[in-house]
Amino acid sequence: MRGRAYVACAAVAIWLAWAAAQHAQVQSLSGLLVSEVALPAIDRGVRDTDPPRPPRSDPEAEPFVRGSIIVKFRPGTSPEAQRALLAQVDGRQERQPSDADFDIVTIDAGTDPQAAADSLEAQPDVEYAQARYRVYPRFVPDDPLYARQWNYPALDMERAWDINPGATPAITVAVLDTGVAYRSGIMRYQTRPFRLSPGGPLFPSLGTVEVPFAGAPDLAGADRFVAPRDFIWETTTPFDLDGHGTHVAGTIGQLTNNSLGTAGFAFNVRIMPVKVIGSVWDAVFRSPQQGTDDIVARGIRYAVDNGAKVLNLSIGRFGPPAPVLQDAIAYAVSRGAFVAVAAGNDFETGNRVERIAEFAPRIDGMVAVGATGRDRQRTFYSNTGSYVELVAPGGNMRIGGLDGGILQQTFDFDLVDTYLRGPAQYRAPRFDSFSFEFFQGTSMASPHVAGFAALLMQQGITSPAAIEAAMKRYASDLGPLGRDDEYGHGLINPRASLRGLGLVK
Amino acid sequence: MGACVTTICLVFSTPTQAQTREISVRGFADVGSTIFRAEKSFTAVLGSDRGTVFGGGIDAVLPQRIFLNLRASRFRRTGERVFLFGDERFGLGIPLTVTVTPVELTGGYRFDYGSRLVPYAGAGLGWHGYREASQFADGSENIDDHFVGYHVVAGAEVRLARWVGAAVEGQWATVPDALGGDSNGASREFEESNLGGAAVRLKLIIGR
Repeated sequence: MRGRAYVACAAVAIWLAWAAAQHAQVQSLSGLLVSEVALPAIDRGVRDTDPPRPPRSDPEAEPFVRGSIIVKFRPGTSPEAQRALLAQVDGRQERQPSDADFDIVTIDAGTDPQAAADSLEAQPDVEYAQARYRVYPRFVPDDPLYARQWNYPALDMERAWDINPGATPAITVAVLDTGVAYRSGIMRYQTRPFRLSPGGPLFPSLGTVEVPFAGAPDLAGADRFVAPRDFIWETTTPFDLDGHGTHVAGTIGQLTNNSLGTAGFAFNVRIMPVKVIGSVWDAVFRSPQQGTDDIVARGIRYAVDNGAKVLNLSIGRFGPPAPVLQDAIAYAVSRGAFVAVAAGNDFETGNRVERIAEFAPRIDGMVAVGATGRDRQRTFYSNTGSYVELVAPGGNMRIGGLDGGILQQTFDFDLVDTYLRGPAQYRAPRFDSFSFEFFQGTSMASPHVAGFAALLMQQGITSPAAIEAAMKRYASDLGPLGRDDEYGHGLINPRASLRGLGLVK
Repeated sequence: MGACVTTICLVFSTPTQAQTREISVRGFADVGSTIFRAEKSFTAVLGSDRGTVFGGGIDAVLPQRIFLNLRASRFRRTGERVFLFGDERFGLGIPLTVTVTPVELTGGYRFDYGSRLVPYAGAGLGWHGYREASQFADGSENIDDHFVGYHVVAGAEVRLARWVGAAVEGQWATVPDALGGDSNGASREFEESNLGGAAVRLKLIIGR
């Protein structure tokens, strides 16, 4: 009798182990690079006759991730004391993630993470604690009408490039975003059923799909990309599954004078793609991470630790403050990197404080960037506030139509946003077909400043604080005289900053 | 040793006659070093607040030991445009050339009492040309202007031969309101507006 029981137990154990192995296998199948090469990229030219696209929705409703929080203990707090503190919120410390000086603490999924963080932060041994708020790309891909690269002449860039033709590969600019279309390959993913919005139609799973990728033809070049890293998938292949990061990278460093496509601001720099933001497809493909504060903080630290001298964050979020991000940005600046951050697109919907951009006045070497249109006026969406330090072209399609946007190469969204066809007709996306698209947003303004910083750094201004000072000193004052909450110190003036001072003039 | 003795003899020997009643006109050339008063501005842009100056002119010795002197000189140096941030200076690698060309009229008195060594002192005014040109500048971004200044000089002349003399001369000049007028100038940053400075030079004089 006892022997049968042992056999039964052993059988159950074997079955459980097999099931677990199968489950693990299924998990590891999603996000598998199955081919290093893929078909050549398809370039579909300028898409200036398409109707405006609706903004892509966040499939999740809550502003933060449940089930875990970010905690940083003060130095010297013993592991026992840490465990005792975490016990107050039924929390369990996980292994500290890479590129982080903080911990991720698992809590009950039913617990309000911000409340748990608040109770921990009240403890003297805790430097800060916060929920893992989601961070989003900051662009407004609606409001039709267009123009082609008016943004560079508006900044007198032709004459600025006479002085400094696009920096050099010695400068690396990190693009912390949704990834970048930087290489080819075929990825195999496991899909899951999903809804685009709470209560919306259910999209069924597509099972296992193989998705082709290609480098954006007007962005990718030999030795163009360095130290790519994906914190959403925890890999070294930060494929862009959205298009935002590729567009932003284009404004920073699109290949120029190559008889193809559009120009970039600092077209000779190296690009470091650091994926810290997930997209709809990342979620559908079961990415292990989402774009939360801690992921962005790790991306920032990774970028500077791997040689980036300029960081662009065309991302942001609302909600309570994000000390983990302030810490990370301060670290980046202390390591000699300049940080450009989008000031936010929330002006017409409450003008809520952008929690990443708001650090800018407190950190010399970090600039929060608002957006102007072709008319040199603040755009309808661009946040205002004491943290706005400079403005740059971000596009305004309400004035001048689509031509008022910022043009760069990104994906052909017909083949990406297939879910717009509805649950019955949607299919796997492909990321190897490109077109030139007009976007608007402070996401588009920020990379102008990042590119500008690269030029200044290459010109000889090596300190992030001095770069910020040079930008502010020569900015073209807009709005009320002097600094104001709409334009900060004004519209960037690259040529004047690059020229600097003579003895008399 | 021989040269030293010769020089001492030249300086302290009695001339054949003191030149107090004749008018003589001489030419001269000089080389010297100038230290600009706008020390921080010149150092920031040109790497130094001093430099070599070459000059020349004519010198009239009048009766009653009075002299009049018209001199032109030139200072020229190439540096680079800069960005200044606190105490830090960032060179921007854009070449910038500064040329200063003073034309100065000086009047003074020669303490010529028969010695071979003739001390002198004087004062005058000058028209100081200032030119600044940098790469990538359009016409309005370079500068070519003139400013009026005032100066005092003092020196000592020694006759080396009948038609040849030499002098050592010091000068102090002020050229107010010449610098600092433009917000794109380091001189505005440092609140330095004077183009003047102090100079020491050696003169070779041809004539009696």
